Amino acid sequence: MVNVWGEYDREMSEEQKLLKESLLSWAEKNLNAERVIKMNQQGYPFPGDVIKGLADLGIIMGVVPPEHGGAGLSWRDQALIADIIGYIDPSIATAAGLMAVETGWGFTIDRYASEEVREKYVKPAIEGKKIIGIASTEPQGGSDVAGIRSTGRKEGDEWILNGEKTFISGVYECKEMGGGYWVIARTEKADKPHKELTSFFVPIDSEGLEITEAYRDAGRGSLSTAGFVMHDVRVHESYILGERGKGFYQTMEGFDNARLLIGASACGVTRRVLEEAGKYVSEREIFGHKLAQYEGISFEFADFYANLEMLKCTYQHVADMQDIRYKEEGMPVRTGRAKTYKPQEIAKWIAILKWKAPHLAKDAADRAMHWLGAAGYTDEYILETAWRGVMSYCVGAEGGENIQKIVIARESLGDVAKPY
Amino acid sequence: MLQNPIEHLSVEQKNSKIIVCIKQVPDTQEIKIDPETGTLIREGVPSILNPFDEYALNLAIEIRDRFRNNSEVVALSMGPSQAAEALRKCLAIGADSAILLSDRAFAGADTYATSYTLAKAIKKLGPASLILCGYEALDGNTAQVGPETARLLGLPAICYVERVEALDGGEITCKRESEEGYELLKSPVPALITCMTTSSFEPKLPGVREIMAARRKKLEVWSLEDLGGSKDEYGLRGSLTRVTKTYTPDIKRKGVRFEGKEGVKELISALRGII
Repeated sequence: MVNVWGEYDREMSEEQKLLKESLLSWAEKNLNAERVIKMNQQGYPFPGDVIKGLADLGIIMGVVPPEHGGAGLSWRDQALIADIIGYIDPSIATAAGLMAVETGWGFTIDRYASEEVREKYVKPAIEGKKIIGIASTEPQGGSDVAGIRSTGRKEGDEWILNGEKTFISGVYECKEMGGGYWVIARTEKADKPHKELTSFFVPIDSEGLEITEAYRDAGRGSLSTAGFVMHDVRVHESYILGERGKGFYQTMEGFDNARLLIGASACGVTRRVLEEAGKYVSEREIFGHKLAQYEGISFEFADFYANLEMLKCTYQHVADMQDIRYKEEGMPVRTGRAKTYKPQEIAKWIAILKWKAPHLAKDAADRAMHWLGAAGYTDEYILETAWRGVMSYCVGAEGGENIQKIVIARESLGDVAKPY
Repeated sequence: MLQNPIEHLSVEQKNSKIIVCIKQVPDTQEIKIDPETGTLIREGVPSILNPFDEYALNLAIEIRDRFRNNSEVVALSMGPSQAAEALRKCLAIGADSAILLSDRAFAGADTYATSYTLAKAIKKLGPASLILCGYEALDGNTAQVGPETARLLGLPAICYVERVEALDGGEITCKRESEEGYELLKSPVPALITCMTTSSFEPKLPGVREIMAARRKKLEVWSLEDLGGSKDEYGLRGSLTRVTKTYTPDIKRKGVRFEGKEGVKELISALRGII
């Protein structure tokens, strides 16, 4: 018996239990281990059925209010979903990764979008018919969001965008299904660089938008990473997301939303890795003892499990903070806490989660492969799939580890720790 | 989704109830037997909606939705308070309302007392065009509750139904598999039908929206007081049978090995002896 869910099942509400049951039943048929392993290999064909399946279950952008086509879930619910999907798809590619990114950014786009963008892009994305996401990173770097070089200039009721975005998740899926990206561009003159930015929604099929060649990633075989160049891309002013000059703050909010779900998904990855490896070490014998009887293994297992439980509490705490953040706007809140939090405080906790959770998953997969020996290095087991997939979220996707540390240092050491 | 759905549904059956009797059962795939005592280890075994009841529920929803006849699908169950979980799942799958029959007095019921309790509740619910049940529960495997309930209600019963072929003019036509082939059976309605799953059946998975909508649907709990009568009519006291002992049969199979050309002959004569 390997129990990686602990007492979580008992803590869940009736609705959460039902949802978990539906997701696991769906995965048994549509996204079992064999398929996840294949999907993490290079050249896997676009798995549109997975996106459609997740959308039919209503979990993509479940946090979007019902009047905008979502299910009005709390962040606590959505984070649990992310955990379960990470457990199902430990490659964090199409299922877990795309769900988290689309939900985090889709929710934020929905908050700031005009009715036109909402109808044309957000609602179809909720239905699994289009892909929306974030295009922030540029060739010179991604962590310094205030320093981005793409520009926007106004001409009549249109904006003309120029610049290059790179390391963008899901570009080819977006091209195939239609959709677009949250793009920030330098539009204003201000005393500080982060006040000069405006967010836009840029459809993938915009004239002048040239998609660049996809990277050959170490993992995430079923989720493309590519970029695009904007040559005088024109968007109507109704495609501005939020307010001019507020792009930096809104983008940080979007990162918070996506990072929470990536963190929770990474907890699901650790859960799956410990379950798979736990079964192996409970059965495999050497020198007349089960592998699990050797402290070299069981203590390592316990270490990962303890960290997993702590990070689960962390993501629940972060989700509760998010629910409080959006409470005033009519979002459902399931928490007894009456506190309010400053965005920077929430960002700190999200940075803790986004730094630690993918690392735990990666390290757990790494050690689990050692426990299994040669078998763990093959695609007979899901461990190397998880290892390659989750690495993406350690090195950079939705913010690399050092930018998370900068946020944590800034909020704990103070401004003295700011490198900018 | 269900294959080959009901062809017709007459106007008379509109605005009536389709009652589906369901049971929460332990997931038998997860059950292990204690090698020491030979009894089932129920601790930590997850509970599920009995799969045959789930099929019956899907069939009821199909009847309601396909013909938009305003029938109300009511999920009905007798069990401890925990069984509300299974009813909540029924609501998420698409039942309109649910009733849980839960009272200490109902505990320990055999198939007769269970059927009696269900029949009392069905009568209290008022006119129904159809009552659907799974043909048996995964844990008890008696297949008695459906027909017994029909008997107590004075209704015709068709058992082991795979599909409902037609429902028209106050008559229902059901299809079931037999050893010789398929049988088509007709019965006047109201009637009670017990269902078997088909291999092509894929249970409907409730998504977020359906689960959220289920929160707002009515789930009532009825006790002895609601059904009326005395304690002697229900549960262990109202049961006609008693379980005196449960045990795992000790089967000692002896293998026989036939070898070589002689073995073939011996095998043939041994088989002849059996036949």
